[in-house]
Amino acid sequence: MSASPPDPLPAPAHCHAMRVRPAPSQEPTGRQGVWIDDLPLPSTGPLAERRRATELARPARTPRRVQLRYADGLSDLIVVAPRRGPHRAAAPPAPAPAPAWGLADDGPETAFSVLLEHEGDEASWLTALAVTLRRYDPDTQPVIGTDQGEFTVEPAATLGESKPSLASGPALAGLLFGNPVDGSGLGEGGVEGEYVPCLAPPFPLTVSVFRDSGGLRLRCDHRSSHVSADIAAQFVRHLVHVHQQVLHAPQTRMDDVELLDEAERTRTVALGRPPRALATTPMSVTEAFARVVAATPDRIAVTDGEAGLTYRELDERATQSASRLRALGVTGGDRVGVCLERSAELVVTLLAVLKAGATYVPVDPAYPADRLAHTARDAELGVVVTRLPGFPSVAGCVQVTPDELFDEAAAASGTSLPHPSPDEPAYVIYTSGSTGRPKGVVVPHRNVIALIDATREEYALTGADVWTWFHSSAFDFSVWEIWGCLLTGARLVVVPYFVSREPDRFRDLLVAEKVTVLSQTPSAFAQLLEVDHTEVGVRVVVLGGEPLDARVLLRWFDRHPESACRVVNMFGITETTVHVTEQTLTRKLALATTRSVGRALPGWHLYVLDQYGRLLPPGVAGEIYVGGSGVALGYLGQEELTAQRFLPDPFTGGPMYRSGDLGRLRPDGRLEHLGRIDSQVKIRGFRIELHEIRSVLLEDPQVRTAAVVVRRDDPADAATARIDAYVVLSPGADPTTIRERAAGILPDYMLPATVSPVDTLPLTPNGKLDTTKLPPVGRPPAPGNAVPARAATATDDLTAPLTEIWSDILGVPVGPDDDFFELGGNSLFAVRITAALRTRGLPPLRLRELYRHPTIRETVASLRTLDG
Amino acid sequence: MRLQGKSVLITGAARGLGRTAAVACAAEGADLILLDICADLPGVPYPLGTPGQLEHTAALCREAGAAVLTSEADIRDLRAVREAVTRAEDRFGRIDVAVNNAGIAAPSGKPVHEIDEDEWSLMIDVDLSGAWRVVREVGKAMSARRAGSIVNVASTAGLVGYRHFAGYVAAKHAVIGLTKAAALDYAPTKVRVNAVCPGSVRDDERAEGRMLAEIAMALEVPVHEHEKTFAAAQPMNALIEPEDVAAAVVFLASDESRQITGSVLTVDGGFSIR
Repeated sequence: MSASPPDPLPAPAHCHAMRVRPAPSQEPTGRQGVWIDDLPLPSTGPLAERRRATELARPARTPRRVQLRYADGLSDLIVVAPRRGPHRAAAPPAPAPAPAWGLADDGPETAFSVLLEHEGDEASWLTALAVTLRRYDPDTQPVIGTDQGEFTVEPAATLGESKPSLASGPALAGLLFGNPVDGSGLGEGGVEGEYVPCLAPPFPLTVSVFRDSGGLRLRCDHRSSHVSADIAAQFVRHLVHVHQQVLHAPQTRMDDVELLDEAERTRTVALGRPPRALATTPMSVTEAFARVVAATPDRIAVTDGEAGLTYRELDERATQSASRLRALGVTGGDRVGVCLERSAELVVTLLAVLKAGATYVPVDPAYPADRLAHTARDAELGVVVTRLPGFPSVAGCVQVTPDELFDEAAAASGTSLPHPSPDEPAYVIYTSGSTGRPKGVVVPHRNVIALIDATREEYALTGADVWTWFHSSAFDFSVWEIWGCLLTGARLVVVPYFVSREPDRFRDLLVAEKVTVLSQTPSAFAQLLEVDHTEVGVRVVVLGGEPLDARVLLRWFDRHPESACRVVNMFGITETTVHVTEQTLTRKLALATTRSVGRALPGWHLYVLDQYGRLLPPGVAGEIYVGGSGVALGYLGQEELTAQRFLPDPFTGGPMYRSGDLGRLRPDGRLEHLGRIDSQVKIRGFRIELHEIRSVLLEDPQVRTAAVVVRRDDPADAATARIDAYVVLSPGADPTTIRERAAGILPDYMLPATVSPVDTLPLTPNGKLDTTKLPPVGRPPAPGNAVPARAATATDDLTAPLTEIWSDILGVPVGPDDDFFELGGNSLFAVRITAALRTRGLPPLRLRELYRHPTIRETVASLRTLDG
Repeated sequence: MRLQGKSVLITGAARGLGRTAAVACAAEGADLILLDICADLPGVPYPLGTPGQLEHTAALCREAGAAVLTSEADIRDLRAVREAVTRAEDRFGRIDVAVNNAGIAAPSGKPVHEIDEDEWSLMIDVDLSGAWRVVREVGKAMSARRAGSIVNVASTAGLVGYRHFAGYVAAKHAVIGLTKAAALDYAPTKVRVNAVCPGSVRDDERAEGRMLAEIAMALEVPVHEHEKTFAAAQPMNALIEPEDVAAAVVFLASDESRQITGSVLTVDGGFSIR
């Protein structure tokens, strides 16, 4: 009785219900007919009338219930078919979750109908459905609902060997085959209009195969909350295509089943192309630079603090330094290491290396010695330009300082060398990747030129612009910053390291220098958003380098509407020359927490392919491959690895790069970036999308930014994996409620074990989130050298509060001479200490001062000096 | 199109109910004049609308086909209101509908004797006098044209009391008083004045609403369960969607309600029945 309407109603009259149940057979193909039980159903009077009207008006609440009206108009026939045979409980199953490939939206729920040429039987359609679903989502067992319960099709060697078997679980897709009411007489006379197998599509994706006056038909109803109209239409095409293979090529191996026909392959290839074509003339960076110098020799090229260089000065210095490099034996094709802090002389040096016909290999002076040595050896550097006294000595590698390359008195004495060929390497940048040692990516001159030409017009980049140089030269985002600026004749403002780490100082610099083009990693940008940024007057923000949670941009849009400043997210890879795609962001997209990174840049193109290298249709996740003008020459000295990652483009010829990134195309050609394939995380067997967890945390009005990491208590034991979240809170927020709220939204396997409030998220030298610097969960253990007795001696007006703040933040007792770093301090704690000083109205302490004077006694002394 | 050819002025239009009502009016063919303070107010414990949010509302209305004028105006400032109205009349020739939507829910959350003079004045100045200033500035021209509709967004707090919300409740009761008195003033000239009393409206993410969360904060209802708490207080056991209130606004703005004036339309899921 549990399947009949639950309302308690008065005595029966003119109304009864019938329960239809399947024959005992469990074979979907062996339908025996239906059993009909007569159920007394109380119904009379005005109440019953109301109920009847209600039932008729309402779409079926459960999939298997259909209401019909008798011809006399007075009685109901309620046909209630149990979902799983007569003996199973009739509790409605939980609805299937929306599949990621469905690209659910709030669009209209349309039905797609196609004429079929070949009917097949229920089993062939089940097989086709299961194979198609598995291709759309290989990680999930396809469960297909039918009149007879749920079925699946286990993977078999060939299509012909595939047989449906009973399954359980919520069904995303359903198959309604034939017309079960036809011929039984139930449907005649009483039902008006066209027969539809159900009043409301019982499954999120309902496929009905039936015959009507027009012939044999397949109809697909979809819920937009699960599958968008575009994807549903495409799914129907693929299903029919697969079904033809089931019928006519049963010997086809499962892996060889094709989803796309030739026409759709062509369309999908075109989808990964940019909407605009690239107009570029291959040339070297030095030649392009020479043109800018000739056009605007007296315009300022680089601002470095108080100092500035005009284009002419920059050109002359670089030419002279290039001559010196030549004199040191550097010849065309050599690689020259450059290990300098961000500065005007670094720009001079990079340009000098290129002018000497050589390839620059930037290394960050902050790198550990063994990484410096590895790079010097791996790149076979003959010369390294550095001021680092501790640069490791490597056999065959000469170290010179920029001073040795440049003599002010003889600035104009250098002789210009011929420009290198556009196909020559311009730089080698080492990327860590997730496995193995860093590898050098070799990028030729023409790629850099193509990058500038791909963006110049779209973003109206001109000599009137002012760019920041925020990122380490060893991070290829700086290639964009330096050459994007200098090859469009703009002014490059060097952002010193300490300024790049202090959002309020950085804000002041952006305002003072009237910066117009700002390039940032989302993590660094989020820090800028923490301070008042109203006065910042940039007109273009280019985000790149790591995944973006678009919601954090709302605070930017609050002060800088889209009409005043364009915000662009660019997905990029070092191996494809900085950027690949561009997505202009709007408040609307930010509110919708878009994951789109947009379409390919002019000259670049991309594919999403499965593990066999086949094109995947929109919606379906696969590996991102990038072809076109940005593809690098390969990895330095690693032919095997180069051959694995740089493959011939099967669709256009030329090389394409296999990114190792997961993504999906949208039907409009925009790419969604889904993270690294090798960092896909599973917890208790569930695939975890860390960005989803982060996104839920960010929806909390109390949370400003968030980071989510997976940690293992025992690195060797996957079972000890645990999700830890870190959040930066709005003022006055209550940290205890964050996790409680998330618990109401996230399934328990996705719920972070801990949610720790932090004052700011730590960044790597490249400006990306530095997960290694996130504080351990809970308090750090007290180091042995902290002596509590000494703490008690602090009494004066600065020492006492400082001691209290340090102890509080570091979680250990602190004495006046304890070293901040030895107590477990890091940049994160440093930021928190400076914030705490501000909160208490104490004199401001620059991070730089804290690093220089890492004890309380020294800090107090330095504060007093600054005060005086 | 129920508001075809009408120009509708909405205050507090940067986000929340104001945004939703603006988009609903645009979808019915209206042109919009969108006002918002676009700045934080000292004394209000939460951030108010921003220029970016106001621009986004305008963009959504334009997408729906409306001509839109935006104005960053503080309704505490009669001159600012007058300037916005003048600009709107210059641009659209007249204002057919004014929706007094701007309002603040806090400073609240304490008994009457703990409210200080500034807090009390601020609440009355924004929630009551702000509506009066708009009525004052649009009423004359509407009367002269012998057409127009004014919709005051009050609250169920204009019908019943809420503990620890004296300023808000007093202001909203007074908005209903203003509605009735103004309705009588303007009835001879066919200008209608009505009030809408929303119950607990869900903070819609797309609309960037935050009123309910702020009320929860003032009442110290735990943020993660406040929706359930507020929904349970409404007999229909659901929160009001901003679109539900916008529908009432559109009705009172349109000529469908031409014989309705001085009325108070509750959109509260039955909250005020008992």
